Amino acid sequence: MIMTEPASRKASNAPDAPAAEPVPVPVEEMDLVKRVRDGDLTAYDELVRRYQERIYATVYHMTSNHEDANDLAQEAFIKAFQAIKSFKGGSSFYTWVYRIAVNKTINFLKQRKNKAQMSLDDLDFNAEHDPDLVALVSEKTPRREVVLKELQEKLNAAMQRLSEPHRLVVTLHDVQGMSHDEVAKVMDCNIGTVRSRLFYARQQLQAYLSDYLK
Amino acid sequence: MSMSEDSQDFGSLRRLLALKRHEQPPPGYFNDFSSHVINRIKAGDRVDDGVLTRLFWEAPWFQRLWVSLETKPILAGAFGTAVCVLLIWGVIYSEKADSEKAGVQPVATLAKPETPATSSVLIAGEAASDEPLSANRVSVAYTDQGLMGSSFAAAEPSARIFDLVPKPTKSDAVPTTLRLNLSGGY
Repeated sequence: MIMTEPASRKASNAPDAPAAEPVPVPVEEMDLVKRVRDGDLTAYDELVRRYQERIYATVYHMTSNHEDANDLAQEAFIKAFQAIKSFKGGSSFYTWVYRIAVNKTINFLKQRKNKAQMSLDDLDFNAEHDPDLVALVSEKTPRREVVLKELQEKLNAAMQRLSEPHRLVVTLHDVQGMSHDEVAKVMDCNIGTVRSRLFYARQQLQAYLSDYLK
Repeated sequence: MSMSEDSQDFGSLRRLLALKRHEQPPPGYFNDFSSHVINRIKAGDRVDDGVLTRLFWEAPWFQRLWVSLETKPILAGAFGTAVCVLLIWGVIYSEKADSEKAGVQPVATLAKPETPATSSVLIAGEAASDEPLSANRVSVAYTDQGLMGSSFAAAEPSARIFDLVPKPTKSDAVPTTLRLNLSGGY
């Protein structure tokens, strides 16, 4: 069985360069989709397991809230199951379910606009040893974890100040390591739009976080 | 200004964004994730999206239009104006078409000088004379005071408004039988 490595892991291996897009497994994926169409929930369980981390991560980075991300990611998969008969295979299942999740999330964010509250996931142990982060936070600082936590909150707050399309493009490309082409497919726009949104979003973030960037 | 991502140094920012990759849900969270989804599907949990959300992922062009309208107020204004103009044009056009269809042709033919000027006005079309509301001719009497002194006079007795309502015939009557069931102790 061909399994795709979670994007987050890939990204942490090569944080500077965007990670390669997920290894395409069209034949096997379409087999699973066919079985799901016939009502095979085991096949759908396999599809969910394959993409759950990336879908959750995308929704989480968009909302900065674990509980919301949990609900939205689950609902995206349920919605995809309900609509699986309308999936014509024009794109990969992965792209299709991503679109569902992204649209659900954007819709949710529009509704909750005035009551945004962050509920952040904890940083994993590797964060303290990430060379990029070590470069940002002095290695000599004994309270590095505290500094990282503060940095995490500021970063998430800055992300939440971006508009949804700009936040999405930063999430997909800079955080999840998707290529421009893949981002364009998920957002259903052209690569030029992805690039311009990315540029603008980075400019905004840089302005918001200027105190923390050396 | 170049839109290229490389035209400005975002190195520090990208290193900072790497921090987000280390944000992880509680340990073991993904072990149960798919089973939660499958259980909700088995339980018949339905996710009902709004029409807008459904349109977004079923018709991507609609999403593109929506996003462009949202992000560009000028475009949204122009779009709104265009819709209004189209709406107004449609109303005017439909009214014009209606009046042409109805064939309202005010024919003000002057009658003999000793009698008040009268003109015959056809209400609706004469051709559809089998319809009560469509073929009644009324006379408009003109006086020297013009419209202020004008009066509408029915040329025929049938021009009264109640005469225009079709009278029911015997064939229209539907026989009904009313039966009351009083056997229930009432």
